[in-house]
Amino acid sequence: MAKGIYIIVEQRDLKIRKVSLELLSQGRKIADETGETLVAVVLGHGIEGLAQTVAASGADKVILIDDEKLAEYTTGAYTSVLNKLIRKEEPEAVLMGNTAVGKDLAPRLAQRLGVGLASDCTGMESEEKNFLSFKRPIYAGKAFAYLTSNVRPIMATIRPNTFKADAPDASRQAEIVTEIAEIDTTDLSAILKEVAISASKRPDLTEANIIVSGGRGMKGPENYGMLEELADVIGAAVGASRAAVDSGWKEHKFQVGQTGKTVAPTLYIACGISGAIQHLAGMGSSKFIVAINKDPEANIFNVADYGIVGDLFEVVPLLTQEFKKLVNE
Amino acid sequence: MNIIVYIKQTFDTEAKIVMDGSGKINANGVNLIINPYDEYAIEEGIRLKEKLGGEVTVVSMGGSHVQTAIRTALAMGVDKAVLVSDPALENSDEWTNAEVLAKAVSQIPYDIILAGRIAIDDGASQIAVRLAEILDVPSISSVLKLDITETQATATREIDGGTEVIEVSLPVVITAQKGLNDPRYPSVAGIMKAKKKPLKTMTLSDLGLSVEDISPKMNVDKFSLPTARQGGRKIPGEAVQATQELARLLREEAKVL
Amino acid sequence: MATATREVYWNIEGEPWLYLLLIIALVIFSYGVYKRVILWKLGQPENRWKDVGQGVKDVIVYGLFHKRILKDPYPGLMHLGLFVGFVFLAFATAMITLQADFAMRIFHGWLYLFIKLTSNLFGLIALLAIMAFAYRRYIQRPDRLDNTPDDAITLALLFTILVTGFVIQGVRIAAVPDPWAAWAFVGQWMAIPLKAIFNQAQLLSLHRFLWWFHLVLAMTFIAYFSHSKLFHILLGLANQFLRKRGPIGIPDPIDFEDESLETFGKSQLREFSWKALFNTDACIRCGRCQDNCPAYLSGKHLNPKKIIQDMKVLMEETGAEVAETKKASVTQVAGQEAAAASEPEEWAGRALIGEVIPEQDLWACTTCRSCEQQCPIFVEHVDKTIDMRRNLVLMETRFPAEAQLAFRNMENNGNPWGIGWSTRADFLTSLGVKTFEEDPEAEYLYWPGCAGAFDARNQKVSAALVKLLQAAGVHFAILGNEEKCCGDSARKLGNEYLFFSLATENIEVMKGHGVKKIITQCPHCFNMLKNEYPQLGGDFEVIHHTVFLLDLVKSGKLKLSKSAGKSITYHDSCYLGRYNGIYEQPRELLKAVGLEIKEMAHTGEKSFCCGAGGGRMWLEENEGQRINEMRTDEAIAVKTDYVGTACPFCLTMIGDGIAAREVGEQLKALDIAEILEKSI
Repeated sequence: MAKGIYIIVEQRDLKIRKVSLELLSQGRKIADETGETLVAVVLGHGIEGLAQTVAASGADKVILIDDEKLAEYTTGAYTSVLNKLIRKEEPEAVLMGNTAVGKDLAPRLAQRLGVGLASDCTGMESEEKNFLSFKRPIYAGKAFAYLTSNVRPIMATIRPNTFKADAPDASRQAEIVTEIAEIDTTDLSAILKEVAISASKRPDLTEANIIVSGGRGMKGPENYGMLEELADVIGAAVGASRAAVDSGWKEHKFQVGQTGKTVAPTLYIACGISGAIQHLAGMGSSKFIVAINKDPEANIFNVADYGIVGDLFEVVPLLTQEFKKLVNE
Repeated sequence: MNIIVYIKQTFDTEAKIVMDGSGKINANGVNLIINPYDEYAIEEGIRLKEKLGGEVTVVSMGGSHVQTAIRTALAMGVDKAVLVSDPALENSDEWTNAEVLAKAVSQIPYDIILAGRIAIDDGASQIAVRLAEILDVPSISSVLKLDITETQATATREIDGGTEVIEVSLPVVITAQKGLNDPRYPSVAGIMKAKKKPLKTMTLSDLGLSVEDISPKMNVDKFSLPTARQGGRKIPGEAVQATQELARLLREEAKVL
Repeated sequence: MATATREVYWNIEGEPWLYLLLIIALVIFSYGVYKRVILWKLGQPENRWKDVGQGVKDVIVYGLFHKRILKDPYPGLMHLGLFVGFVFLAFATAMITLQADFAMRIFHGWLYLFIKLTSNLFGLIALLAIMAFAYRRYIQRPDRLDNTPDDAITLALLFTILVTGFVIQGVRIAAVPDPWAAWAFVGQWMAIPLKAIFNQAQLLSLHRFLWWFHLVLAMTFIAYFSHSKLFHILLGLANQFLRKRGPIGIPDPIDFEDESLETFGKSQLREFSWKALFNTDACIRCGRCQDNCPAYLSGKHLNPKKIIQDMKVLMEETGAEVAETKKASVTQVAGQEAAAASEPEEWAGRALIGEVIPEQDLWACTTCRSCEQQCPIFVEHVDKTIDMRRNLVLMETRFPAEAQLAFRNMENNGNPWGIGWSTRADFLTSLGVKTFEEDPEAEYLYWPGCAGAFDARNQKVSAALVKLLQAAGVHFAILGNEEKCCGDSARKLGNEYLFFSLATENIEVMKGHGVKKIITQCPHCFNMLKNEYPQLGGDFEVIHHTVFLLDLVKSGKLKLSKSAGKSITYHDSCYLGRYNGIYEQPRELLKAVGLEIKEMAHTGEKSFCCGAGGGRMWLEENEGQRINEMRTDEAIAVKTDYVGTACPFCLTMIGDGIAAREVGEQLKALDIAEILEKSI
């Protein structure tokens, strides 16, 4: 008899990732609606201290699987351990965040379990017939698909920031269980040689989810510090228009446009950029475009979802403050 | 070295998505391209052949229109192609596709299998890793740099906030991330030669599979389109109010922050 | 009065030596010609011997009347001076030869006096011209002239021949009274000091010596002719005769259906036609191409003169190699075939692309054709560049990375920006314009081009043009989403395959709708549809919007109001001006609305490219200065209110230049249509 909604909690360096807390909050809601148990599974090494955080975030039961071989994520070890656990416990659903780990782990695990997988979901609800229904974007968000499965366990990865992480309730108690990691040696064939976390939190321009970009309106290289500050608050990459690169304010590797990089982030914030077609050709597929420009006639406003007509030197610092507030919520 | 590249033909990134009468996505008149991430895989496969010798086979699934994508891969320098084409696969899910693909791939000798890390149409990013699982072969996803010798692969892959380096013996499945290489432009000589390179089409029965064998695990119940995007919205007010409002909209309406 | 004449061969003995020397000179001359001919024959066949009547006219207009040479007046007049001197002295020599060798009694009377006068007058002018040449070349040292020993030898030779000629004349007049000395006025002037310095016997010896010296120099001239720059005298005229007539700038099409074709584009010297190689010999290194090349002037390495001259050197290296191979094979044992010595073999010397011509030079060209326009003898530079680009794109796939994006975008969405093809018609239909599907009876096809459809800046021009056409009651429709990029950028970048696919599709669509007449606002589309689509079966009447609008104004269908007070400088776009000779019509329109026109430093045929042609709109500019900024500086210098263009590329480039120079308040870039629309 299948039971429980299992959330695979992701941790790095003994810090739980935000998406896992978001999932626990949403999982909690659904568990309450459907009367299921919410179980959090944490893999790693030296992770006992995390059980309480996980419990405070809504889990009824926390399964800790602590092993040296699980200290860093590897596809083989994690798949092996989770496969054995899930076959033993037979949960209704197994959910995790669509992070680099989730994208790698979930398909492998799903295949080993012989089940389907809904990836990168932006919506999850309880559903009468099939327990859970998922909404996910297709065609880069130009359409949505709604999925259910009658095979158990239901598996899905959820896009970070889809749900809100509720404030933790330190008084919550959960059943804490430790399991032994059962790892097939064949799953250890790939050797993790090195992990390099970049000192700068700033992502690479090409695949960044959020980009803050500056154009001719920036008036000089020294003013990019303002954009970088904004970018760092929201974990964005920094880009530039050709005008800025030509003027020597930023190197060519930051150039977005026809003769620079083509990007398609979820959010593109264009500061002091007029929006000439050569630039649009490089970022026109962005999901959301924000424009800040003092010229109300600038073409960028025609393609922006949200525009602010104003002096970017005034607007950008204010925006940075607002974003700081958001992030700290 | 025997190299297999799995590619998918997808809608062009600029395609307008419309639904037909029956609630399905309408593919009429849509321009079809090779999934951009698969191009990195094709390029890497060809480079491996150039470096270590051997043969590159491209494998794909879908209707006969996929042949244009395959011919482009052949024009770039791939040697042969296999296309699995069967109407029964129209509503398949990732599990089904992976099973079918595995059946096709296991008929071809391979030392390394390459694919793009994600397809831009479904955005699911599952097939290649599932394939590796069925073949019982290690997989390394989202690779930025790849070094291959006759027996071993050393891959630098992208993780959240950084990279990691993984070493494994062949065979292995690798999925390519943007930045792995710069895909070449097919030469006209290549395009001409591609017309004569072997392209084998297979159905489910050719693979020894029946429709029941591969019924999907995940079902799509329906599709929807988002509300049309309105350009040109200017947030009124002084800078202080406007920025507050913008932050709010980005969080609550756009849900990007 | 006794008949005016002088004794030919007076004071001279040993005339038979003259003929011996002449024969030797002619042999050396012929050998020189032969040596060059075998080099030209290294190239592929090409038929240039058509249009003989026009060819003769061209030689008269451009050769005899120096039409292009005089466009640069300072060296042009000098050259005219030398040329005219040459003509008259040659005439004189011919007459004397007829008299001396063909026993035609003509060297007397009015003909004699005419010859005396003209030889002296024009010979003196020629002498002054040579001195001016030397001054310009060696003292002033303009950038566009490079100096080789040949230049010095030729100048010295010509100078000495002329001077000795005059001195001989002077000595003769000093020695023997000449009643018609006044006609030989230079000689007359010289005779005075000569008579004072030398006695009769000395004069006679001097005369004899100088006569033979002059003769030897003259024979040297004949012998040296085909081994030196003097050859340009014949080759230049020949090049004018053999020039490509008809619409300029059209590369040869490639038939991709031909399965036997193995190479596309050219990478070896021998793949070029004999005429291309002939060009390199005809080139006289005048440097006008270099002086007008926007790439060169903006500091790029590209130099059109250097390309032609470097190809010449390669041609000589190739010739030497082929000769070596032939020699080697001749000494082989009989029975061993000299493997197709006439076919282009694997060339083991310097690579044409890369070593002789750096790849970056090939990409730096904007195909503005100012080089070809200024060239007095019609050397063809640009089609070679495109042929080599074709090799790089179609065979080697080695080209600037930004071009790959433009190519892919054109392949997938029919426009270089890659904007969804299904949105192409959106802007124009929002103006109420109908497609041919909706309005099949429309008289004109309005072809906005990619810029007119997608580029926000150029959409304003489309809107203005639509308004003007509607005001004039023109019945037009668009192709809408069926329209694809005309293929100009693809073709000029060397991607003939992509061009072929775009063009054939466009032609099929237009024929399907029964399109007969096309109006377009983009000179690149205009040139392509009018002059290049016929190669692929497209045969339409194509009109540029400025020409069309002027017709509308002249016929009264479009009424414009005049308003005074504003000034404008008009930028001639290369593809409208040099390519299609449309210079006046836009200016007439500007006058018709009352604008005061001031011209920039480079105008009309010498218009300075905006930098976007040749597919460069899609490429980065990494070398030297920005071409568009240089052009904008010229516009700013004229101090007008507006700069007018008739091309979306020029509009963008100059607009960008104005923004870069931050003079947006003082100077506005506008299309002719936008200007007219304000005055309806």
